Amino acid sequence: MARPALLSRLVYFLIVTPAGLASRLVTDPLHRHAPASSNWIVAGSSPPPDGARLRQPW
Amino acid sequence: VSAVLGVSCFFHDAAAALTLDGVVVAAAEEERFSRRKHDARLPRRAIRYCLESAGLEGGGVDYVVFYEKPLRKLRRVVATLAATAPRSSAAFAAAARAWRDERLWIRASLAEAAGVPAERVLFVDHHTSHAASTFLASPFEEAAVLTVDGVGEWSTTTIAAASGTFDGIGDTTIRLLRSQSFPHSLGLFYSAFTAYLGFEVNDGEYKVMGMAAYGAPRFEEAVRRTLRGYDDGSFWLDLDYFAFHHSLSDSFAPALEELLGELARDPSEPFATRSADPDAPGELVRRGEFYADVAASVQKVTEDTVVALAHEAHRLTGSRNLCLAGGVALNGLANARALRETPFERIFIPPAPGDAGGAIGAALYVEHVLLGRPRSYVMRHAYLGKSWSTDEIRVALDGASASYRIIDDEERLCETLAGELERGRVVGWFQGRSEWGPRALGNRSILADPRDRAMTRRINEKIKYREPFRPFAPAILERDVASYVDGMEAAQLPARFMLLVLPLAESRREQIPAVDHFGTARLQSVTPDANPRFYRLLESFERRTDVPVLLNTSFNLRGEPIVNSPSDALSTFARSDLDLLVLGPCVVSR
Repeated sequence: MARPALLSRLVYFLIVTPAGLASRLVTDPLHRHAPASSNWIVAGSSPPPDGARLRQPW
Repeated sequence: VSAVLGVSCFFHDAAAALTLDGVVVAAAEEERFSRRKHDARLPRRAIRYCLESAGLEGGGVDYVVFYEKPLRKLRRVVATLAATAPRSSAAFAAAARAWRDERLWIRASLAEAAGVPAERVLFVDHHTSHAASTFLASPFEEAAVLTVDGVGEWSTTTIAAASGTFDGIGDTTIRLLRSQSFPHSLGLFYSAFTAYLGFEVNDGEYKVMGMAAYGAPRFEEAVRRTLRGYDDGSFWLDLDYFAFHHSLSDSFAPALEELLGELARDPSEPFATRSADPDAPGELVRRGEFYADVAASVQKVTEDTVVALAHEAHRLTGSRNLCLAGGVALNGLANARALRETPFERIFIPPAPGDAGGAIGAALYVEHVLLGRPRSYVMRHAYLGKSWSTDEIRVALDGASASYRIIDDEERLCETLAGELERGRVVGWFQGRSEWGPRALGNRSILADPRDRAMTRRINEKIKYREPFRPFAPAILERDVASYVDGMEAAQLPARFMLLVLPLAESRREQIPAVDHFGTARLQSVTPDANPRFYRLLESFERRTDVPVLLNTSFNLRGEPIVNSPSDALSTFARSDLDLLVLGPCVVSR
């Protein structure tokens, strides 16, 4: 069990943390700054993808 | 016959549900079988129950549907933990473990549990499952659908326009109009305050609602600094006050305690107020009233937000019908205000609007939207769980060496029980199929006389061993409901499921004090078609007392799931001060 735990730490500190810090420099992924007048995402219609109604991505 | 099995799991309240030609024939939460409250594991027992109930073991279903999209959810988890690095290292390790060990293999696990090939396992996104769980079980052919919960993949709040006829003409559609994304979530906001008030997240939210009635919303302004509402119903959380976006163990940040001026409530601290406990020490009362005022403030902000969301749903759709889903739709006070204070004329909320309900929603969505089969189903009752025959009950009773008598004649059984209730006895009532959702609706219930004010304390302290401030609900004969509460015409089905808190008529408050929670009641309206035996019992009680009402609370002890089997009921009976236990026609006394 020690090896997977070490692997997840390595992934976290070598990949996830730098990627997260970098993304925060250019975007606001969690919307930490309050929007001026609305926090809605306006959706279009949502037709079933490519006609394959039962093979939607998971 | 088209058979679709819906499944929800891995967050809380895992469940399975089976539809045959679009009719829900079985549904149950895993906790009822595993006896682990809010069990989130793959619901193998609930799946087995659903399949066995229709004779579909061994690959008999056409599709198995999971209630969310795991890979989309994984992307959100990773993106969020990355955005909060390096504070999220512990949460990342735990998430990595959960996904590696279990969640990534959900397709294979479901295929194996249902006995079908992996290609027959489908995935419907979380908020679509919620929306389908309410609209496709409602009596409406078109409606605005408002889903408000913690979070699924990314969405936390959605508004959709849904349509689908019962005559099979035209498509059935659920069209998303607006969404809000994690972490801006009303469900997680409420849960963070639930934790601050000393209760368990995803369990103690009802307690916050109950506690709120003891307080006044004098911290509303402070609470609104943590949740900013906009004119169009959307809202934004100030993440400085929260921790759920980077931690699995903490919901709120220390800044929340600074804002409110008091540390979070210690869960072991008794709750006291001047009105409820005049003899309690002064400091305990001061603290109790402080936390009650925080609860009242959170409840007020939550209700206002739901009302604003419902207004926006109406503005966008123009519909007269509102369907609610998501865990926040268990907040009966907010639901009642959403109906009362908006132009909507009718409302539907399924008995399990939270994540468990996603199992039904996912199955109905496949049936009607993806496969295009016409609708025929309206959820008029919640009795979809497992039942036991009289023979099976007797085997359990004999195995426990219980002393009991059988009253086969239903009229006599109800008359006998009504007499016991009138004499102040508290009765465990176990009948037919167990209820779908968190409310006991007269099949796995503890019943008592609502006219006795002392009954509240007695049941809380001596029978259920729970906090003394927890309120009890009245079950009322449907024909008499209008004389007890206002606003029933528009909400007949949700009132069957105890999902609305309505004002009690002033003239009735003295009559049924044990179910009067500061002038309100989360009532259950009982109909002869949905539950004939319970209806008959209420009629018998009315004949004796002129009161067509019984106190109805779930048949469980604090921290345990509602009883499911006769053995569960016997075990609970043995560990509580219940006076009498009725299992089917068998009356067990001490």
